Amino acid sequence: MADVVFERVTKIYPGANGVPAVNDLSLSVADGEFMVLVGPSGCGKTTALRMVAGLEEISDGTIAIGGTVMNNVLPKDRDIAMVFQNYALYPQMTVAQNMGFALKIRGVAKAEIAQRVGEAARILRLDEYLDRRPKALSGGQRQRVAMGRAIVREPQAFLMDEPLSNLDAQLRVEMRTEIARIQRLLGVATVYVTHDQTEAMTMGDRVAVLRGGLLQQVDTPQDLYDFPANEFVAGFIGSPPMNLILANLDEGQGVTRAHFGDQSLLIPEQYRSTHALAQWIGRQVVLGFRPEDLVADNSTTDDLLRARVDLREALGSEILAYLAITSNTDVVLDALPTSDAETVRKRSRVVARLSARTDVVEGSLITLGLTTDNLHFFDPNGGRSLRVLTS
Amino acid sequence: MSTALVTPAHVATPPKLTPRQIRRRVARAVLLVVMILVAGVMLYPFVVMLVTSFKTESQYLIGRGSSLQSWKDLNQTLPIYQELLNSTIICSASIFIVLVVGGAAGFAFAKLQFRGSNVVFLTVVSAMMVPLQAILMPEFVNMAKLGLTTSYFGAVIVYAALGTPFSIFLFTTYFRRIPDELIEAGIVDGLGYTGVLTRLILPMALPAIATVTVLQFIQIWDDLLVGLLFLQNPSQRPITVGLAALAAGRTTSIPELLAGSLVSALPAMLVYLGFQRFLIQGLTMGIDR
Amino acid sequence: MAISALDLRRTPRRAGSRFRPTYSTSLLTRRRRRMGLVLTLPALVLITLLIVVPIGQAVYYSMTEWNGVTTTWIGPSAWTQAFHNPTMWRVLENNALLLLSVPFALGIPLCIAVLLHQKVAGWKIFRSIYFLPTAISWVVIGLVAEHFFAYSGTLNSMLDWLGFSHSHTNLLGNESTALIALGVTFIFSMIGTNTMLFLTGLATLDPSQEEAARIDGASSWKIFRHITIPHLTRFIQLAFVITIISAFSALFSLIFVMTGGGPGYSTTTMEFLVYQTGFAQAQFGTAALYGLILFIIMCVVGVFQLRLLGAKD
Repeated sequence: MADVVFERVTKIYPGANGVPAVNDLSLSVADGEFMVLVGPSGCGKTTALRMVAGLEEISDGTIAIGGTVMNNVLPKDRDIAMVFQNYALYPQMTVAQNMGFALKIRGVAKAEIAQRVGEAARILRLDEYLDRRPKALSGGQRQRVAMGRAIVREPQAFLMDEPLSNLDAQLRVEMRTEIARIQRLLGVATVYVTHDQTEAMTMGDRVAVLRGGLLQQVDTPQDLYDFPANEFVAGFIGSPPMNLILANLDEGQGVTRAHFGDQSLLIPEQYRSTHALAQWIGRQVVLGFRPEDLVADNSTTDDLLRARVDLREALGSEILAYLAITSNTDVVLDALPTSDAETVRKRSRVVARLSARTDVVEGSLITLGLTTDNLHFFDPNGGRSLRVLTS
Repeated sequence: MSTALVTPAHVATPPKLTPRQIRRRVARAVLLVVMILVAGVMLYPFVVMLVTSFKTESQYLIGRGSSLQSWKDLNQTLPIYQELLNSTIICSASIFIVLVVGGAAGFAFAKLQFRGSNVVFLTVVSAMMVPLQAILMPEFVNMAKLGLTTSYFGAVIVYAALGTPFSIFLFTTYFRRIPDELIEAGIVDGLGYTGVLTRLILPMALPAIATVTVLQFIQIWDDLLVGLLFLQNPSQRPITVGLAALAAGRTTSIPELLAGSLVSALPAMLVYLGFQRFLIQGLTMGIDR
Repeated sequence: MAISALDLRRTPRRAGSRFRPTYSTSLLTRRRRRMGLVLTLPALVLITLLIVVPIGQAVYYSMTEWNGVTTTWIGPSAWTQAFHNPTMWRVLENNALLLLSVPFALGIPLCIAVLLHQKVAGWKIFRSIYFLPTAISWVVIGLVAEHFFAYSGTLNSMLDWLGFSHSHTNLLGNESTALIALGVTFIFSMIGTNTMLFLTGLATLDPSQEEAARIDGASSWKIFRHITIPHLTRFIQLAFVITIISAFSALFSLIFVMTGGGPGYSTTTMEFLVYQTGFAQAQFGTAALYGLILFIIMCVVGVFQLRLLGAKD
């Protein structure tokens, strides 16, 4: 078992006009850690994974596994196991043969192969299917076999490329916990690629968010949610995404206010120390707040948001209200999670996550309370968080 | 139908048919008759061969009687055993080369791209369009100069060269459908590219191998031109050539000739009946998706 | 605590302290390319030596006069001479006339395929029977055809039976009719292959389309004309190309056993002329030239086919 370290890794595909697919990526996955690479399609996450596997050459920088630089080592000598999106099971082999194939190639004794395959099958609850061929298995079982093929190897690292994206929604939730359980059981460093932020949040010890080949932020799921490093991460992590509004900051009588349209919001004192707001007074910032920070009960707070309900989605446990901020809808902006390095702004609606019993009528005007404990501020140019790094 | 519900079971009234049902039944009957007629036409060669082969020359001319004489004399007129053996040797050797060479190249074109591989692939595939007649003279001269027209080898490599472009096309099309991840899984599992080819791809390629084999078998077994020119030694003649040479002589008894035809046709017919599926796959490769 | 990657990126590059790859391609890529070359090499050698080089040689031969012993260089005028040779035009005319059989070689199989596609009881047996002649050599078909057209053959017996006894002919022995007999045999020989193609095409037809049209009140003919035929376009194109290629380059066996090219030149096609000129008359140079002319004709057909294959993507 070992760690996986990316050191300023760059990948430029031939014919891509020098545009890097992965750009100067530095990232270290500790031994036993579950690291999720997440981002929209084309962000370079799969390329990064394939470079670890040795299936893609590294244009610049190094990748080390267990302290050894692997740039010029063949995949088979890297001692890694990979789970593919389409499972890539060998159709002519049985489940047991599929799982034992890598060991057979390496000349492991038959008895040991049988023992290790049996053990993996037990962990994955595949015991009954060992003699079947992949064709005779369900999607979920095939996925387990693909996992089993990796487990049996007892490798230095697991590499998983969107292993759940071919499963239906319910099975995906089930396998999510299953994979996380097995990874913790085996304690092998794992790099897991997905485009699904829910998978990233629920499975990863840490999550690395990529976009346009650039690493945006690496953090634990909770820190990623609470302290997004930029507008993109704020918009990408969380569903529905964070509301982002262009607002002007001003200061008067010792208090800071954010103005948008004809409304304004009092910025609590605490943000002066945690955020570099002082130099943004009189300038425009991007103000962010999560959908759950909007509350129907507006009696206990002075921080209010007036809006018209455009659309109401009742989910049973909660209601999502899509709002147009009254009097001036031009202020509402959104950073789209695209793969390009550029921030794409689009006029959008504010979303509120309200309790299921809230009385919300489409087309009506409502006034919601806004919890100001978790406000976010971003530089409108480049989207960087204005949070001051202390630690 | 509804009548059956109201009629007691022991009364054998034929169910009344609506005009529509009648029209339909008549149409089906007509269809069947037409199909049987077509079957008659398509079976005509086989009937002629079979019937005529059981006559003597004179019985054939007067159109009556039957005899086993033609079958008894067949091997003297046409050394069928030797020629069947020749056909088998030439077919097997050529098909073996076509499979090995074409399969390897097909795998390379589909999965092991190298600089210029697409251009090479297009060149190879366009070689499918070259008719043997276009290169017949130089080919013959080259083979004769190398002394290859007096052994099986000359005909074998000519067949192999003519069959390889199509074989490459078919294998490439087939292998392109195998996902890249399967090969990558093999590589991560510890295989080299040789191992990928022999241990993963080969077992998966059986349908393509069968298709190429069947198509090539029928093609080569039934061919005349190559065998006629590139096998100058009569003792190495394949059966189709032997038959054609005999027919061109125009001195042989027709019943014997047709008995020989039947013998020559049997192996290809059996292969065809057994592997029809692969033949159809091969014919429509590339447009049946 | 949040660590912003954007901040990490601001740290200055430590020049010289980093690993610098010395190769642009990885070990795996190099192995893949090498293996690709190794695996294509046998095919390349085979095709180059036995197909590509001979084409070049044929061009050279075509400009020489060669009787098998002595070679005389003539140059490009050999080609102009050939175009003034009436025999070649006579033969090309035969090729052109044979193309008249192509509509039949496509139309009849199309009808048969539609019949089979009705899937009456036992249609699979009929299918096997209809395809069976595909397996046998055209040498054998030629032999049987000879018997069919002969003076005392099946055709004349049938005419007798129908009461046309005075119209006894030997189609193959007559200069004006031998080509017809050859064409009919050719059509018969193509039925199996083309039926197979069309049937495969029909099998890929989505039955719900036909049902929808039927519900909309379309007649069977309208369905065939506006749904079935457009769907089969690709298969018809492929069958068309295969049939034309066969008409130009696969009739050798039939001609060889049925007529030997005669009477006169009445059934000699270009491909048979190559053989005759080269091996009966030992004019290797002229034979090579005829072969190239055939090749040029096939190239025109080939361009059509490549467009067809290319259009699938």
